[in-house]
Amino acid sequence: MNKESKTKLRRHINRREFIKLGGSALAVLGSSVSCKSVSAAKQSRKLKPKNILLIITDQQHIDTIAAGGCRHVRTPALDRLKSRGVSFTESYSTNPVCSPARSSIFTGRTSSETGVHVNNLPIRSDIPNLGQWFSQETKYETVYAGKWHIPRSFTNDIPGFKVINTGIGGFGYLCDTVTSRACEGYLRNRSQSSPAPPKGWSRRGWARPFLMVASFLQPHDICEWLRLNTKDPVQLRYKELAGELPELPDNFQFDRNEPEMVKRTRQARDAAQGNWSKQQWRYYLWSYYRHIEFVDAEIGRVLQALEDFGYAKNTLVLLTADHGEGTGHHQMVRKNTLYDESAKVPLIFSWPGHVAEDRTDTTHLVSGLDIMPTLCDYAGIKSPKNMRGWSLRSILEGTALSWGRTVVTEVSSNRGRMVRTPRYKYITYKDDLVEQLFDMRDDGGETKNLATSSKYASTLTEHRRMLRDWESRLDVAPNVPNAESWGRKG
Amino acid sequence: MAKKKKRTVVGSPLTPGLLRELGAIREFVFASEDFKPGGNWVNTYRIWTCHGYRESGNYNVGFVRIERAASKSKEEFMLIVQQQVVQVDGILNVIDAQMICLNDQLASPIEWHLSSRFANPDGRAVSELGTEETVLIKGNVMSVKAGGRSFKQKVAGRPSCDWCLFEAVQRLKFDKKSSLAFDILEGLSLLKEGQHLSYRGVYPMKIGGKEARLHRFDQIGEGVLPYEYWLDDNHRLLAAISMHKAYILDERAEKAIRQRTEQVRKSYERIRSARRKKS
Repeated sequence: MNKESKTKLRRHINRREFIKLGGSALAVLGSSVSCKSVSAAKQSRKLKPKNILLIITDQQHIDTIAAGGCRHVRTPALDRLKSRGVSFTESYSTNPVCSPARSSIFTGRTSSETGVHVNNLPIRSDIPNLGQWFSQETKYETVYAGKWHIPRSFTNDIPGFKVINTGIGGFGYLCDTVTSRACEGYLRNRSQSSPAPPKGWSRRGWARPFLMVASFLQPHDICEWLRLNTKDPVQLRYKELAGELPELPDNFQFDRNEPEMVKRTRQARDAAQGNWSKQQWRYYLWSYYRHIEFVDAEIGRVLQALEDFGYAKNTLVLLTADHGEGTGHHQMVRKNTLYDESAKVPLIFSWPGHVAEDRTDTTHLVSGLDIMPTLCDYAGIKSPKNMRGWSLRSILEGTALSWGRTVVTEVSSNRGRMVRTPRYKYITYKDDLVEQLFDMRDDGGETKNLATSSKYASTLTEHRRMLRDWESRLDVAPNVPNAESWGRKG
Repeated sequence: MAKKKKRTVVGSPLTPGLLRELGAIREFVFASEDFKPGGNWVNTYRIWTCHGYRESGNYNVGFVRIERAASKSKEEFMLIVQQQVVQVDGILNVIDAQMICLNDQLASPIEWHLSSRFANPDGRAVSELGTEETVLIKGNVMSVKAGGRSFKQKVAGRPSCDWCLFEAVQRLKFDKKSSLAFDILEGLSLLKEGQHLSYRGVYPMKIGGKEARLHRFDQIGEGVLPYEYWLDDNHRLLAAISMHKAYILDERAEKAIRQRTEQVRKSYERIRSARRKKS
């Protein structure tokens, strides 16, 4: 961290007490209905997990877990994690692009606030990341393995974290395997059965709780796969796969009344350039699922080390992804759109005996913004100021009394917005008259755009208003373009 | 503002011919007739990776050296493996494995010692990340000793291993009718079920203007992108390609990776000192 950042961060921390006096961040910034179960008095009595493990995958579609109903994969590790915790089906990325989404996961702020509106930008220096915050506010040792991408994808220098492996770009086997081995080594060596800490490590440090981030690259290598398979080969390269290729999704065909940006995103994709046959689309799906199985095995190695070396009972495990993957829905591949296949991400929490087990939460709308406040809540510390998300602890422990909220997702260098309410999804882009409105209860595949129907005029107006309200509360970073589109000056 | 260089996508799956086009190899070194897959040999493979563009992003990132030592007993042999992979900023992971394998079709490992070591960007070993384990498979029980603890785990049948398959394919007949079904322990640790290995045939091709005949085996299964093993007429494995990653037989691989590690570490040092100056 440079000197300027340090000064800003210090200033920020000193102001926290002042913010506290002014009322909780939730009351100020939450939507019209607040989460009643979260209160400071309750927090102080809550148990803390000794350790926290945050697992991040890259480009994982939400429906890629066998135990969650995906028929095309075998995912024993993800199944096990899911069966031991709470998994959310209405979980959204804050911005379905790597760096922006990660900036939110690690700060609890929107990507327009962190300044990371596109890939390869750093987080604004006056906003602390999870590692910096935990290093200052807790005794957790903060360690990081794998992809970072804010701004460098892979780096030995991550503010607030001790990096145990950097990873390498685009090569899952060589990146994720080394990442999971580094995590395994760390867990094995610091386990209680070790007679003494290794040379150079103090006994006190060795016994400290840890916050470990295991950030895997897969299934992102599907991007490399796409570049190696743009040309439709006509015949399947492996003919025995013909009988086991997954079917195309139901919304492969859809309403083409879309904003220009969405059309352009589709046209720029490798699949469109290759003019694929249905068979090639299905082969792409088959290949994507193998990437999922690959990362499942690496996650399994880390979870197994937690089990084998005595951490499982004392560790809160959280798994999420930065964004989803097109998987042929709306004839899309990759990410960067606001359709569910790209915008939704897996979100699973597990802590045996504390977080409800084997529960699939289909009702609460949650997002990457909730991760920072949730982890702070579990660590027994205050969140940094201006959190835009909420702690999910009350949901995870089954004590939430009410949860009225909307989720907003940004995209395309601050040009696009999605507002998700319990029933509807509203999508709008800067300078584009075409808006989208989907009834998510009756049309979960987002195939019929209701925005032009007079029947839904008031719903549309209401969603526009919600977006304006949300935007009015944000503290947009000066470097972010298109801020004026959302009624703000950048 | 400098214009971004235009990049063209490769567009098609990697093949030996494409490896040469993309600069991953100059030529394959074919084995002489006295190469004995079931004897003593050392094969070193450079690990080359492709981002999917022709012009950039394609690197050597590691090597795997596999040494086969025949035993007096015809039922078993030994494989000694070292794999080194260079991560960004010069973190190095070194895996060493000594395995006793059955002399069956899939070189099933039955006993092994495996260590994983890390070195940080300045080249020093990171002791708190290293692991070692000793494993014995007897019947359908796998006994593991690791980190001062012992575990037992059930295994169905005799799993193979990714490194063992590099040995096994060299002993298999070029027979289109046979197909093997098995599980693997990838890196001698991660179980991946439902693997199938089949011989596809002989592929005459021109590599660098020279005529060549290469034989291909394919491996398809859970948790892996298909592997294509390319062998010469004398059954020596010249390359294994799995999607965007190629293991290329290359005697100079270790030297190439040492150079690459140095290069990456120097570049990291430059980044670091620039950052120090800035702050």
